[in-house]
Amino acid sequence: MAPTPGEKLTNFFKRRDVIIASALGVAITALTVIIGGWWYTKWMPTALSTDMKSIERLMVIFTWISAPVCGTVVAITLYTFFNRHKGDTPPEDGPAIRTRGPIVILWSVVSSMLCLVAVVYGLIELNSAEGKAQADAPHAMIVEVTGNQWVWNFHYPAQDVTTDKLMLPINQPVEFRIISADVNHSFWPVQLGVKADANRYQVTLADTTPNKLGTIDVKCAELCGLYHAYMETTGAVTTRADFNNWVTAQGGHTA
Amino acid sequence: MTTLDHHATTRPIPNPKKSLITKLNMGTGMVVGIIFALATYYLINPHVDQSVAQEYNRQLLATMFMWSLGFMIGIGAFIGPFRWLIGKDLTDEENLYLAGDGQGIKRYFKYCTDHKVVGIQYLVGVMTMLGVGGTLAMMIRTNLIMPGSKFVSPIIYNSLVGLHGITMIIAMIIVATGPFGNYIMPIMIGAADMAFPRLNALSWWVLFTAIPVLCSAWFLGGIPTGWTAYAPLSVQAGPGMNAFIATIIIFAISTAVAGANITATVVAMRAKGMSWNRVPIFVVGATVSVALAIPAFPTFMVSMIMTGLDRTFATTFFDANFGGSGWLYAHLFWIMGHPEVYVILIPGVAALMEIAPVFVRKPLFSYNAAIMGFAGIAGLSVLVWAHHMYMSGWMPMLNGPFMVTTEMISVPTGLIFLVLLGTLWRGRPWMKLPMLGVYAFLWNMLVGGITGLYLSDVPADNYLHGSMYVTAHFHYTLMGAALTGALAGLAFWFPKMTGRMLNERAGYISFWFVQIGFQILFLGMFIAGAEGQPRRVSDYAKTFATSNMVSTIGAYMIGIGMIVLLWAVVHSWRFGKIAPMNPWGSKTLEWTVPYPVPLVNFDTPPVVTSDFYGYGKAEK
Repeated sequence: MAPTPGEKLTNFFKRRDVIIASALGVAITALTVIIGGWWYTKWMPTALSTDMKSIERLMVIFTWISAPVCGTVVAITLYTFFNRHKGDTPPEDGPAIRTRGPIVILWSVVSSMLCLVAVVYGLIELNSAEGKAQADAPHAMIVEVTGNQWVWNFHYPAQDVTTDKLMLPINQPVEFRIISADVNHSFWPVQLGVKADANRYQVTLADTTPNKLGTIDVKCAELCGLYHAYMETTGAVTTRADFNNWVTAQGGHTA
Repeated sequence: MTTLDHHATTRPIPNPKKSLITKLNMGTGMVVGIIFALATYYLINPHVDQSVAQEYNRQLLATMFMWSLGFMIGIGAFIGPFRWLIGKDLTDEENLYLAGDGQGIKRYFKYCTDHKVVGIQYLVGVMTMLGVGGTLAMMIRTNLIMPGSKFVSPIIYNSLVGLHGITMIIAMIIVATGPFGNYIMPIMIGAADMAFPRLNALSWWVLFTAIPVLCSAWFLGGIPTGWTAYAPLSVQAGPGMNAFIATIIIFAISTAVAGANITATVVAMRAKGMSWNRVPIFVVGATVSVALAIPAFPTFMVSMIMTGLDRTFATTFFDANFGGSGWLYAHLFWIMGHPEVYVILIPGVAALMEIAPVFVRKPLFSYNAAIMGFAGIAGLSVLVWAHHMYMSGWMPMLNGPFMVTTEMISVPTGLIFLVLLGTLWRGRPWMKLPMLGVYAFLWNMLVGGITGLYLSDVPADNYLHGSMYVTAHFHYTLMGAALTGALAGLAFWFPKMTGRMLNERAGYISFWFVQIGFQILFLGMFIAGAEGQPRRVSDYAKTFATSNMVSTIGAYMIGIGMIVLLWAVVHSWRFGKIAPMNPWGSKTLEWTVPYPVPLVNFDTPPVVTSDFYGYGKAEK
């Protein structure tokens, strides 16, 4: 993986194993970058909020950060695998390379840098999400979410509506106040990219702003007993007018 | 003439007549254990009302612990300590008898202090547990073959998940340090036995008593909480939960004893000349692993004692209504839980690092980087536990710091990759079964490591936490990486442990079935997770049908491969080709002793003059 001490770099890059492994590495990195561009978004459901959009973007970027690692590991693995020794007797001894200081340092520095990029990117995303939540908090619509074994209940205090369907108006910041009536649950409106545990006697907060019309699947993401699998409901992001009609139909009052 | 012949011909088989220890074995242990259990159960019975959950829990827990205690008394575990109590000790002849000298197959059913016997006991125990856990996994996947499947009811399904989880976790914790750490490791460092041979036997037999306790969960209504056993669900759960609590407490005692023993052995009993920079890397890995386990498992034990108290005496450690907190449980659990995954992973990796130089015929690339990798992983692993609690609502402001520590683990993990890749590079690997394990590990750990990166990130975890994606990720690391490492270790050390070669053809068939099935199974599960399927669900929406079907097909392939492997191990153990003393041409010390390995391992204590990776010719 490194020039033999004394070997010129130009000669090193003319070696057959180096050329093949490097070509493989570049090819696999490129392949990972291309596949990583659509792989997760292909499977993940339609994003109905900016939070979910940023999660999709994050999955793509993290795949790209990992691509060089993937390329290096797979290239060397594949090259040596095809260069294997066949037979029932042990092969001849290879070169007695104990270590290569510069390579160990280079490897550590590069992997640390990749790690740093991931950390910084994640922290920026985390920070911007929190900043947005704080900015939205004063005019957020409050939804009190209660997890029971094994149903979700939603209470809209301002509208005075209690229901088991999660209805949200578009472009209206929402603050979920989540609590459990019994054991731990985890509130997961899948398309909104939000998740928060429901604990007993402890309110957890989560927030988002739906920005696209569509249906929401609400699931429970924490094993909560017998019918955990069936602790799900649906909901929708609707227009403001549809939401108001729905509230009126439920016997609530619109602001 | 080898030492063994010497033992067989000239030394009389020890026969300390009138000594109690000659009468005791697993059978007497079971008899006394059952007597203790029944006596406890029926003595308490008049005083409890079984319809009151707390009173019934007390009765069951007491019964389970008394079974364990009775078994240990019945097998003779406390004869030595009892002698000390009355100011005596076992005689030399009795000690020799306890080492199982000249007792053939019987010694495997006795309180035997020989580390090689304990290693085989662990091996058989681990294989049994993996078989049971694997069967449970097959049942889980069968139920998930299509939406609306009614193979098992939800209550049985939840029990399957819980039992599969805890059985596999216990099996995986001991899968490498149990058989190889006990059988091979002392020979590897040139020791005659473990530092504390009687504690060694204790650690195995205590663990053995946990197995019937765990099995009893089936008959008490199962473990409906998953292996994480989160409170308050675990406090609410039925009587089967007591089996879980008792198992974990017994298991924690066993690992503490084994961990202290292995650490002490490596620190104190290395051969002359084996300085720290000459210790074989597997020994380093096993030591790091058990040293990490020593602080980790007591917190699990404590969390289970507290759960037990909540369930039996109505304490409120985890009841938020009375000032307790479910988060307290989550903390105690994950302070154990995250180091624990590295307790599992590191010995498997270390076994592969031992294997790679032998089959590539090159020195281990950068021994120091390997040590730094292990040390870095071990050090960071105790600082990352709360990444399991990003979404729990506990201190969202600490999510950032925990994200940083978690992602930092990728750097020492990268060093592990560097060591293996550097060893492979410019070599021509001899593609025997153990070596295939190195390749499978590199791929599986790559996938497991990269997918861990998404999970460590707080915003992405908003989506992925608690989904099938998590399940797929940790199976890649625990099964794809750690179990592959342990199985490669089995293929590698099988000739030394059984005297016979593992059937190669069956081994290859099994390897490809398991590894290809594994990729199919967890590819499907990654997709199911990305699509939004929560984990631990007995049923799912139609949108997840395809990915789950794919997963189940992969699972069956693994099942077939594992059955072939089981056949190969059992068949080769009895009828396999007789192994030469050093079939792989390895340089470590365990290959310098004949099979069967003599009682004290070495005729003359070995002296080490270099490290064990002196393969290769000088570079041109």
